[in-house]
Amino acid sequence: MSDGGRESGTDNQTSSKKSKVSGGDEFGRAIAKIAVTQICGSTGFHSSHHSALDALTDVAIRYISDLGKAANFYANLSGRTSSNVFDVIQGLEDLGLPQGFSGASDVYRCLASSGVVQEICQFVSTSVEVPFSRPVPRFPIARTPKQIPSFAHVGEAPAGNHIPDWLPAFPDPHTYIRTPVWNERATDPRADKIEQARQRRKAERSLLSLQQRLACNATAGFMPAIAGDAGKGKQIVTNNPFLTPPLPHGEKEVSEIVMPNEDADEKKLSVLETFAPAIEAAKRESFPSLISEERVLPSERPHFKFGIHKKSIVVPLSSETRNAKMDSWFLRDDEKDDKKRRAEMILKGAMENPQELAQL
Amino acid sequence: MNSSSGEGRHDDDSALTEFLASLMDYTPTIPDELVEHYLSRSGFHCPDLRLTRLVAVAAQKFISEVASDALQYVQSFQFLAFFCSIELRIMHCKARPAPPVKDKSKQPKDKRLVLTMEDLSKALHKHGVNLKHQEYFADSPLTGMDPSSREE
Repeated sequence: MSDGGRESGTDNQTSSKKSKVSGGDEFGRAIAKIAVTQICGSTGFHSSHHSALDALTDVAIRYISDLGKAANFYANLSGRTSSNVFDVIQGLEDLGLPQGFSGASDVYRCLASSGVVQEICQFVSTSVEVPFSRPVPRFPIARTPKQIPSFAHVGEAPAGNHIPDWLPAFPDPHTYIRTPVWNERATDPRADKIEQARQRRKAERSLLSLQQRLACNATAGFMPAIAGDAGKGKQIVTNNPFLTPPLPHGEKEVSEIVMPNEDADEKKLSVLETFAPAIEAAKRESFPSLISEERVLPSERPHFKFGIHKKSIVVPLSSETRNAKMDSWFLRDDEKDDKKRRAEMILKGAMENPQELAQL
Repeated sequence: MNSSSGEGRHDDDSALTEFLASLMDYTPTIPDELVEHYLSRSGFHCPDLRLTRLVAVAAQKFISEVASDALQYVQSFQFLAFFCSIELRIMHCKARPAPPVKDKSKQPKDKRLVLTMEDLSKALHKHGVNLKHQEYFADSPLTGMDPSSREE
């Protein structure tokens, strides 16, 4: 049987409602749906709506459950716990009463010759046998729960003579008694302070070495356009040079970009040489003294070769300096702390160049 | 009278036993595991497999009755539609002198029989089950209202 039609409506809502209604009986419901579909197919239908099949599945499941319930009631009425065939026949009569069966009006009727049984006999003899299409495993699968070991199993003596040892053991005391946890180490404030200062110095040293390594690396060093703001009248004091507003077109005179020739003889400027003064300044750690100096730019834009190949970190710093006045590039704000400024520069360089970080 | 009724009962009992034995040869469409699952959920306890088969066969009979009733409804409607269309064609035929193409191949059997909710609800009503089905679902509570009031 195939899907015969479409249904309009919110399928998501109906499907979620269905999952709530079934309450975990998905497997049984699915099998019942297959069985009902087979019955409809053998009756003569070519196709069906989904909702109609679902409704008919519900009806079938209810029928089976009601029949079992009725048979159980009749057995309990007779003082038994397990049902027999007569309980089932009485249950069938109860369910078949609206439709009617032969002999229903007889008061002293015999159950064995009941009309419902005869109808079922007729049905079995006339209908075509259509077995279920797939093998069905036994379900639901019962999992044996993990048992709590008894006193004898664990080897404990029960806490009292009135408790036999085949009962489950008590839980461990740590599950219900809260024991405070003390820090056993003796504290020495002086030693702590000394340790703190030592760790701070260590961190500073490692930051400085990182900065040096970043600066001396010969791959593309894209420094932030601090120099771009130098020529303008307004000085925007911000921490992040990338957040400064862009220059309007034509306000600053910039040199024309000369495309580099692919000439191996031509001396290419390296980042190392261009920023050598900055490196010198970093080495000397004499930032406050360079505030007042002007910033000088090269007249032409240096062409950097953006190489991707890895370079050795161990490169000796070039000692030649182009212009001592270029030291002031790093300076933005003289109120900042010395350490903070250094850390900022290192972080900026690290963010711009993830390659160096990878090499490190 | 007691003896005759006793014999009658004996026959009935033997008939019942024979029937239950024949059930073991007949495989109902509803599998035994499914029936046992739902019976155990409702409290029915019986280790006898023949009773489980009896319940399965009873359920199958019920569903097939409902399905055949629904099929009758569908087929009656299709016959009705078919005969209406035949009548219309006859009327057209009488109006025009030229005979139209008689497509005798258009039989109601060629139309696919689809089980719909309407036919199912009618069939179930005969068996005592009241089934109501929404005709359509709207996307939001405002669907179908006046555009002026919808803008609120």
